Amino acid sequence: VLASLGVASAQAALWACGAPAKQMRRRPTEVSPELRTWLHEAVATLRVAGFAAPHALAVSRQRITAAIDVLGAGVARSRCDGLVLAVSGRDGIVREQVTNDLSRAGVMAAVQALAGAARAASVDFGPAPGEFAPVQADPERLSDAQILARVDALASRDRELSSRIVYAAAVLDLDDSRVWSVAPGRDQQQRLIRVRKSVTRVAWNGPRPVVGEAARAWTGTIDDQDLDDADLVAAREGALALMTPRAFEDREYAFALEPAVTANLLDTAVHAWLTTTAANRPEVGPRLASGATFASPLVSLVDDPGAAGAYGGFQFDDAGDPASAVTLVDAGRLVGRLARVRRPGHVGRAEPAASHLRLQPGTVDQDQLLDDGFVLEGPLGASIDPGTDRVVIAVARARERAGGKRTGRQFADIELVGELSKLLGSISGVSKQTRTVGIRDEVDGQPRWRSIEAPWLRGKGVLRARRRPA
Amino acid sequence: MITRRDLASALAARRLADWVVIEREQDLASIDEQMRVRRVEHRVLWQITVHVDAPVGRGSAHVTLDAVDGSASAAVDQAVALARSSIGPAWMSRPLAAPARVKLEDVALAQQKPIDVVTDVLSELKRPADVAARVSMVREHVRVVARQGFHTEWRATLLRLDALVSAGQRSLAISRQARERAALDGDGALAQAKQDLDLLAAAGPPVAGPCALVLGADALLHDGLGVWSAFASQADAVVERQGLTRYRERAPIAPGAAQVAEPLTIASNGARDFGLLSAPVGDQGDAVRAFALVTRGIAAGLGLTPREGALRGRDPNGGVRNLEVATGSWQGTIEPGPLRVVEVRRLRSLAIDPYTGDASLEIALALEHGTGAPRPFSGGSLRIDLITALARARRSARSITRGAYSGPDAVCIDRAELFG
Repeated sequence: VLASLGVASAQAALWACGAPAKQMRRRPTEVSPELRTWLHEAVATLRVAGFAAPHALAVSRQRITAAIDVLGAGVARSRCDGLVLAVSGRDGIVREQVTNDLSRAGVMAAVQALAGAARAASVDFGPAPGEFAPVQADPERLSDAQILARVDALASRDRELSSRIVYAAAVLDLDDSRVWSVAPGRDQQQRLIRVRKSVTRVAWNGPRPVVGEAARAWTGTIDDQDLDDADLVAAREGALALMTPRAFEDREYAFALEPAVTANLLDTAVHAWLTTTAANRPEVGPRLASGATFASPLVSLVDDPGAAGAYGGFQFDDAGDPASAVTLVDAGRLVGRLARVRRPGHVGRAEPAASHLRLQPGTVDQDQLLDDGFVLEGPLGASIDPGTDRVVIAVARARERAGGKRTGRQFADIELVGELSKLLGSISGVSKQTRTVGIRDEVDGQPRWRSIEAPWLRGKGVLRARRRPA
Repeated sequence: MITRRDLASALAARRLADWVVIEREQDLASIDEQMRVRRVEHRVLWQITVHVDAPVGRGSAHVTLDAVDGSASAAVDQAVALARSSIGPAWMSRPLAAPARVKLEDVALAQQKPIDVVTDVLSELKRPADVAARVSMVREHVRVVARQGFHTEWRATLLRLDALVSAGQRSLAISRQARERAALDGDGALAQAKQDLDLLAAAGPPVAGPCALVLGADALLHDGLGVWSAFASQADAVVERQGLTRYRERAPIAPGAAQVAEPLTIASNGARDFGLLSAPVGDQGDAVRAFALVTRGIAAGLGLTPREGALRGRDPNGGVRNLEVATGSWQGTIEPGPLRVVEVRRLRSLAIDPYTGDASLEIALALEHGTGAPRPFSGGSLRIDLITALARARRSARSITRGAYSGPDAVCIDRAELFG
């Protein structure tokens, strides 16, 4: 039931990926210390076989999910291994051989599929990378009880739970990935521990459940960050909010997007418009040539995977290139596109994708951003048709403001609709406060991580009730 | 190295109420013309389901491993520990029933390497030179073993085509999946997209107002099951038990749904040969069975997992899988006349509320039929109660099978409101 609400019980959340246990044997990421040697051998063999740019990308990933909810507590651990051998042929086609067997036999079988019986030759891989640095509160060394204690601390911070709240949960989700990238002249490894902490509250509002959620996500160690008290209060109040039963008139209004909604919009817009893949669409490429006006002059957008602690960040990408910032939009003008490819879970199909998007903050205090109109909160999804520029952003609630204050009225299930270019062009205010939103979704069963640092935005657009009119 | 035998031995050595191990050995291949990538992949995936009984009830766990190198014993320890920590209401496993007899492997595809199949499919695709496509294939050998000595295995094939079809300054993305090469119908999908692009070039803006609504195949099946997925949500037994679904078994799915001229009938058939969602057994070893979701406007059945089946005293059925919708007698013709009819050919997006069936449809391409020639337009949206609308809709007499759907290729809804 809770999964159908978009949330899951501690047990249900763990059902998909594995198991808890106080008495569980520790399951370290048991990759052979010789893996790098085998990757060297693989690349050297592919080089001898005549391939121009052989690259071996290996990952061993462990996911730990710990949850405490009204039904109980649990910790789950799951594991995914993968190796992608990529070579370029003379025809310009990239050939990839993929396996989830990281034993020597598995690696060599993948090499043989590409290179046949070729033998390895001597190749200079450059300086060897240092050992993985020791990590404070290493997830591999923490017991389930220690992990659960952290979740318990989070769960117990908000004690003002109303009797109307029928479900409450706190979740800690860690993806601990060790990634190796080997190519001629380049031998690298990185460990990325992506952490996401969240709380969820559910209350009934008439015949429908209302979900309030607060989350924080980063890359680093498990204790680097935590949810603020204000986040917890916002999650509770979001679930308990009583909605105004009648609908408002569908028409153009001034609005303010909270950072999570802004992030949802940017995530969808960048994927639909600002990648090199999107540029292949005839509607997108010519319309958005470099220098074209994309948004209001108040909008500047950068993809910066090197940002410290970014949930979507990395030291090197899945092609082995070092992290570097790409400016996509500068003062409303399009100046770049995302060409950097990322692989879901580091082993999936490569495609250009954002890592850590940062929308430049403005100078206005978020409380002063909107006098009259609606503040849109709780993203439920956004869709953009690249063919026509049509955008639909669904949100859980719209809070009405008049004369710079809340009126107390708020409406459930609202959509902001219109043309993306018009919507982005209407942005007339950007707050100086920002929030960072971490996103984890899956493609073909492999996770895609990204993050977005976004302020509140003020603009104008058509708002309508998502439900059919009575 | 994890092996099926090691997992079975480790599970048999523990005192478990029940367990199932599913091994999926997959060979995958794809060619992406746009990214200029040929990819060949071999994976072995493990799904372990365990149930433990305790004095206060039963605990269950489901573990998935996407790795070959590791310890079977450690994986089993994890699953058992999770099951022990998640004790819920007691229920008894029923003896596993015979697997559904269903064909999932296109023998012609199985005789070639997946990468050769993919190359062939691409080379034989009838298309203009500027259409970039991606074709992928999965060949899978699935082996299932369970505590009660049950074991079964099957092979399956799956082809997928994604393409971007352009004409002038417009493009349409298409996607098709099928287990048989002959059923992929890539050429038909590309030809249809080209036809719609021509219409799109001449499309004007929408005109708001009331209309009758015809949903064509591409709109009806937007992103898979399309509008019919509203019924799949309603047939979730867990949600239904909590009283969150809109209809109840043996009651009409909407007021008057049983009294219309051609009441709606929908079945889930996970045992249909080459069905996209077909399988001999489900992920928990439960035999997949065909069952009625809606019979002549009356809610008739629910998707039952082993647990839900046991709690209701019924046999599990593998859940909701391929949908089979009964055709109607409507010939699909739209006569010119004073009544305004909007024929939706493609959607940009479809959002369905899983509890109420209320849906928001964004129109990518539609034809407005009136007294004159049909006028193409793009844009506009519809907000309709899908359960009621589809319960009362006239269904086409022509049938199509696409992906997990088999049924009428169009429906006509008498009253709707188009918003600009």
